[in-house]
Order: sequence, then C-alpha cells, then structure tokens
Amino acid sequence: MIAKIICYALNGLEGVPVEVETDVNKGVPSYDMVGLPDAAVKESKERVRSALKNSGLLFPMNRITINFAPADIKKEGASFDLAVAISLLKASEQLVGADVGDIVFLGELALNGDLRPINGLLPILISAKGHGFTRFIVPAGNEKEARYLGGAEIYPADSLTEVVKHLLGERPILPLETAEFVPNAGGTGSADLKFVKGQPMARRALEIAVAGGHNLLMSGPPGTGKTMLARCLPTIMPDLTFEEALEITKIHSVAGVLGEEGIVTERPFRTPHHTATTVSMCGGGNKIVHPGEISLAHGGVLFLDELPEYKRSTLEALRQPLEDGKITVSRAGGTFTFPARFMLCASMNPCPCGNYGSSERTCSCTPAEIRRYRKKISGPLLDRIDLQVEVDDIHYDELVSSEQQESSADVKARVDLARRIQRARFAECGIHTNAEMGEREIARFCVLDKEGDGILRSAFERMHLSARARSRIIKVARTIADLDGSEDIQPRHVFEAVSYRLYDKIG
Amino acid sequence: MITQEERAYLWLCACSRLEYREKVALLRAAPLAELFPRLAELSRSVLGREIAAEGCERAADGFVRSLEEKGYFALTLLSDDYPEQLKHIPSPPLVLYGTGNRALLRERMFCIVGSRIIPAWAEKTGRRIAEQLSRRFVIVTGLAEGGDLAAVEGALPGGNLISVLPCGLDECYPAAHASVKEKIKRGGLLLSELLPGEQTRKYSFHARNRILAGLCEGVLVLSAGKKSGALITAYSALDCGRDVFALPHNAGASSGEGCNELIKKGAALVTEAQDILDWYGMEAPASAEIALTAEEQRILELLRAEGEIHFAALAERAGIKPFEASAVLSALEIKGLAVKSGGNKYSAV
Repeated sequence: MIAKIICYALNGLEGVPVEVETDVNKGVPSYDMVGLPDAAVKESKERVRSALKNSGLLFPMNRITINFAPADIKKEGASFDLAVAISLLKASEQLVGADVGDIVFLGELALNGDLRPINGLLPILISAKGHGFTRFIVPAGNEKEARYLGGAEIYPADSLTEVVKHLLGERPILPLETAEFVPNAGGTGSADLKFVKGQPMARRALEIAVAGGHNLLMSGPPGTGKTMLARCLPTIMPDLTFEEALEITKIHSVAGVLGEEGIVTERPFRTPHHTATTVSMCGGGNKIVHPGEISLAHGGVLFLDELPEYKRSTLEALRQPLEDGKITVSRAGGTFTFPARFMLCASMNPCPCGNYGSSERTCSCTPAEIRRYRKKISGPLLDRIDLQVEVDDIHYDELVSSEQQESSADVKARVDLARRIQRARFAECGIHTNAEMGEREIARFCVLDKEGDGILRSAFERMHLSARARSRIIKVARTIADLDGSEDIQPRHVFEAVSYRLYDKIG
Repeated sequence: MITQEERAYLWLCACSRLEYREKVALLRAAPLAELFPRLAELSRSVLGREIAAEGCERAADGFVRSLEEKGYFALTLLSDDYPEQLKHIPSPPLVLYGTGNRALLRERMFCIVGSRIIPAWAEKTGRRIAEQLSRRFVIVTGLAEGGDLAAVEGALPGGNLISVLPCGLDECYPAAHASVKEKIKRGGLLLSELLPGEQTRKYSFHARNRILAGLCEGVLVLSAGKKSGALITAYSALDCGRDVFALPHNAGASSGEGCNELIKKGAALVTEAQDILDWYGMEAPASAEIALTAEEQRILELLRAEGEIHFAALAERAGIKPFEASAVLSALEIKGLAVKSGGNKYSAV
C-alpha cells in the first residue's frame, strides 16, 4: 500500500512542501530512500526503526521504498523523521481510519520515540499557511514559537505515541492557543542609559542615531565604556511591531538561535568577534545557506567592537547590505535572499596604542602608524556612517556636579516622537528614516536657508571636510531638527551636525 | 644661463664618492676653470677608471640638462640668488636644488617648525601665526605632519612658503604628503641639498634642519617633546645666531616640554604673530573682523577664561544643555576661533 504524508523543507527563509511517499510491498525485506535525501535524512531510517519499536509499534518486515517529492531539491536535516514514521505506519496499515491527508508533520525523532524540536519551525509554518495548510503536528519543544501563528490548528506532541493516539482518536491533543505578542516581554535586561555615567556627547549621538536610523562610530581609549553605550542602543529603539518580530523570529529560527520565548520580542544586538569571516557575517553554507550575523541583526544593532581589527574584506562586504537592507547569497545549491536592515554601531581606538588625544597618557604611535590604523577603514564604509563621535576618557565627576542621568525610557520617548514625524514625512516615499534619504529626498525635505548653506560652505573650507560629508551632515541635521520638533533645519542644527564628523576632518 | 665653471662645480658636487670636506678642498685648491682637468686626474683614484676631461664635461652637461628637463634649478655658492645668510653658517650646503618660485629666495625668511604629533590648539595657532607672518616674511619649514604642515597650510595660500626636504626633489618624505609637495611646487618653493633621486636617511633630517635654521632670521617652535627634532632646528638656529621663539605649553604636558625648556633658557615667548612682528619692529597686517552672535560671544569669553575645557563642563558653566554647547562650539570652530582637541575638549585660539 502507498501512503503520502506532507512535510516541509527549508529553502533560505521559505518553507517548501515535500511529500513523503512510502510503499510497503511484498518481497525481500529492504529499506530504501530516494529523492535526494542528504546524510542526516538517510540516517532517519535508523531513528525511525528504533522509534517505532520503542513506541510499541510494528516495523514492517517488507520491501520498503520511501520517496521524497519533488525529487529535484535537496532535503537536509532531521525534520522529516516524524513524517517518515507516520507514512510508514500508514503504509503498513497501522493507522486505519486516521485522516492524515492535509496534516503537516514536523519533528525529529529520538530513539525512544520522543519528538525533538527543529530549527526554522516558524518560517515553515508561515509558508505552509500561505500554501493553504492549516493543520500541523509539531514537537512540543517548539510550542512557544508555534503559538504566534494565528488561524491554524497546531498540535504539540511530546512523542510518537502521542501523535499516533491523537491520530487514532484515542487521546486527542488540544490545539495550541494563539499567543498575544508583547514587545520586550523579557524585560529590557541590565542595560539602561541611566547606568551610564557622563558621556554627554556619546549619549546624544546614540539618541540622534536611533532617531534617524543613522549608523554610528564611537572612538575612544580602551575601557571608556564604548561597549556599554552600544548595549544601550536596543533599549532606546522603538518597540518591535508583530510583523517585524515575526520576520526577525523567522531568521533566528532558521539559524537555530531562537531563545526560550519562542519569538523575538527585543531588538537583536549582535556582536560578532573581529575574527569573524565574511561568510559568517553575510551568510552562506554548503548546500543550504544559513543567514549570517548581519541578517541576525536585522531590525536591531550590529555592534563591531574594535572596527579596524576586522578583516578588510569582511568590512567591505557590509557596504552593499548597508545600502540595500538585504543580502543575496549565491551558492551551488541556489540563491537566497535574507533581510539585513540593521543599524551599524562600531567602536575603535583612536590609534594603535589607544592614547591619542588623551590628556593623561601619552600616545606612543608615530603619525604613520596612526594613518595606517585609520586607513584600515575604507572611505566608502566610513561614508555610510553618519555619526562619528569621541568617547570621553575622564571621570565625569571631575567635570560636572552630580546630576541625575536620564533613563533609556526618557530618551526613547523622544526617539518615538522623532520617528513619528519621519513616518508622516516619508509616508509616500517608501522609506522610513532620515538616514535612508537619497539625493531626491534631501532636495525635497532638507531645504537649507541661505544662512545654513553659508555655514556648510565655510565648514568645508575651515574644517577640511570631504565632499561626501555634505549630504550626511544634512541628513543628521534633519534628524536633530526632528528631535527638536522643528519644521525647518536651523543653523544650530547644522552646527551640531558638523560636530559629529570626526574622521572627515582628517585628510 | 649656467657658466662652464658652475657646470664643473655642480658635477663635482654631484659626485657621491667624495665627502663634503674633500669637495670643499677641491673647490678651494684649484681655480674653477681648471676643475675639469683636475676631475679627470682624480677619476682614476676615485672611480677606479680614467675619464678624459672631455668625458667629464659631457657628463656634466648631461647632468645639468637632466635637471633642467625636470624643471629643477641648482644654486651654487657662486649663484647670485644663493641666500647670503646661508653662506655664513658652519658647513653651508654647496648646492641647493630647487623647484618652484625662485624669487622667494630674495625675501626675508622666518622658520616655523613643530613636532609631528602636536596638540590641536598648537596646530591651529601655528597655522594662524604662519598665515599672518607670511604677509611680512617667507615662511620656511619642512614637509612632515604636525607642526610643519600647520606652517604649510597657513602660508601656502599666500604663496610665501619654502619647504626644505630631507630627501631629493624627486622623492617625497613622508610619502603621504605627495599632494602637499605638489601644491608647494606650484605655489611656493621646494629646496633640497640632496641629489634629486636621493632617499631620506637617518642623518638627512639633522642636515636639513641646519638649512632651515640657516635660511631664516628666527625660528618659532610650535611644539616639541623632550627629544623632538624641532629642538635640533632651534639649537642650530642658536648656533647660527638666529632668534628663537616658542609657544608656551601647559606645565607637565609632555608634547610641550621642549618648548617650555627653550623659554626657560631664554627663547622669546610667543602667543600670537604680533609678538614676532614686534620683535622685528613690523606693523601687523590688517585682519578681518569676524561676526559673532551674542551666544557665541558669551561662550567664546568663557572658553578664553577656562583654557582647555570639556564641552559638557563648559555647558554647565554657561547654563545650557551639552548638545547646545556643542553646536555653539562647532560654530566657533568653523569661524576659526576655537579648536577641538582629543577627548571632546575645546580651547580658544
């Protein structure tokens, strides 16, 4: 008898339906799998055999052929185990009367028959729902992630036995209730701007960067709190919407880094080490392509500590995703596009020894060394970093009398306001933030009066600014004006924007 | 037009196998007209093979032609425009190769130098002093980062700038300043004692510094650590009987120890171009008034009162928000009245 069971394979962030066909026939007992299964899928043979036996079910001693259709795409991973087991049971007439036609089975089997959670469940569920499937059996370990898919019957199961009993109607499983999405459900964690002492320049830069979606570079001697400042970025970013959260969760689910909550409720903060390869940054893999750090940072922050230590080629690879908000990775197995709209936050020392510009310690680097160090970051990359600030290397108490530091929540309120202004402004432009403005939008929304234009002109002459700094200064001035609630860009906004250009002044 | 005598002189000086004192001895020993036969005699012992006097002459012609093709000129001690003051220093350069505006050599010269790593305020101040002095003097300096570059940037727009290289005119040290060198060639004057293709060596800087000191009437040191090369220029200026000036630095600041030491030993303390002009009894060139808003004026006065100060501390003194202060300071910076140094600190210049 032939049985057909629906299962799903992952192709990038999309689920692709796979039919598991099983034929149990008379003949010399054998057990074959066809239809481009990879090693992990082929090994499911042994897992399924043991799982059936240890669940008190019968493994048919016949000629068994299992086919994965469509036969032309490669099947990878262990998520087909449950579907293989069910189709074997169906084909060997152990599930008489059970209706399995339109149920999607997902899960990996343990030898004792338990169901193990799989990676990429949410993207599969979303795709399958789009294909018209509404009934799913999933591992109980994936329950939290599955809860957020509304409009479908999802049955979580702990073991093969539970699934069989459910299908035969002996002990039905209750479908999952759809969960309500709550942003920042896990609390904001330990990072908060109120714990950051001093650093008025950097704090302000953080606020402007988040408000306008600008990228940020912090420069300062080691141990001055650059990392701590960066960790505060997600706490002042606008809350995730459900759609954003689903998109981020899809990526994290495919990469297998989804946390306990089952859905991402906080904006991601990714800190790849500077030894990271280009592939780990951008995504890649042998047959199935996995998303890289920039995609995992989608919707959140990619923090590159000690920017000049990263490999040049790795940094250059970021340029195109920074522009497009997505990355397309091509491999022999196919071409995959992952979203990668992230905020880049980088930190660096001012020179190799770290003391350049410090008032207390002397810098032991030669000018040539400093030039070499800074040259590691290419102009085109620096081009995409609108805000460049210096982090203070002093005890703040020495400067200013004790003052209550603003908390992240206060800053976030201002950021939300500025974002609302931008949403209204760009309603028909297809962009969301000031940083995304092109030349056309700048000409339309960032009109400088004669005085402002004069300021820019003299700033260029006096401060040796590079020509490409102009549009970045204007964009930042626009964001500062938005934070100020001002309709037009005023001279003081331009002046302030000019003060956040640290590295344009060099050369 | 280069005379036959000068040709022989140049050819002798271009001979790298002879030392300075040997060249001087040769130039003194024989009348220049007899130099070629004398060189031909020498060729056996120096070069190890004999070259006839005519051969020497041909080679000398070729050398002079190659200089002219590159647009270089060569000054010998016999040239009319070899700077008179330079002839009187110990071991003056026998030849100076140059390219650019030769007329600058007849002007009064003043030297501005500083260490390569220089505080931002000193750089800004140096640039301004160079700009103002360059209307009365030709500014002489090197081509390195920091102090030299400040002098170049100040004086080059007016064209009154001589840069003396520690390498041949074909070379550029530091290599990163090739574009600066090109600008000086067009707008000012480049000089070097070395043959056009010669590379920089350890001792070239010391030798170059004696030319800087020898050319000028006085030297201003913008910044110098305890063992800075700028001090070598200052001390060789003293040896030549030139005036030495220095910018005062904060006590304890390592980048200014050398300057403060010079002042302690009697160098004139300089905070603005007028100090130097007064020394030489000159009038200050008129400068344009810069328009300031009331807020900018207030912050500038506070900044002047405080010296170097963190912008947040300044904001507190002024009773405004830090980011408002950074906008005003940025305005002052653009107007050339304030300068940002490391660690978000500002000072007035």
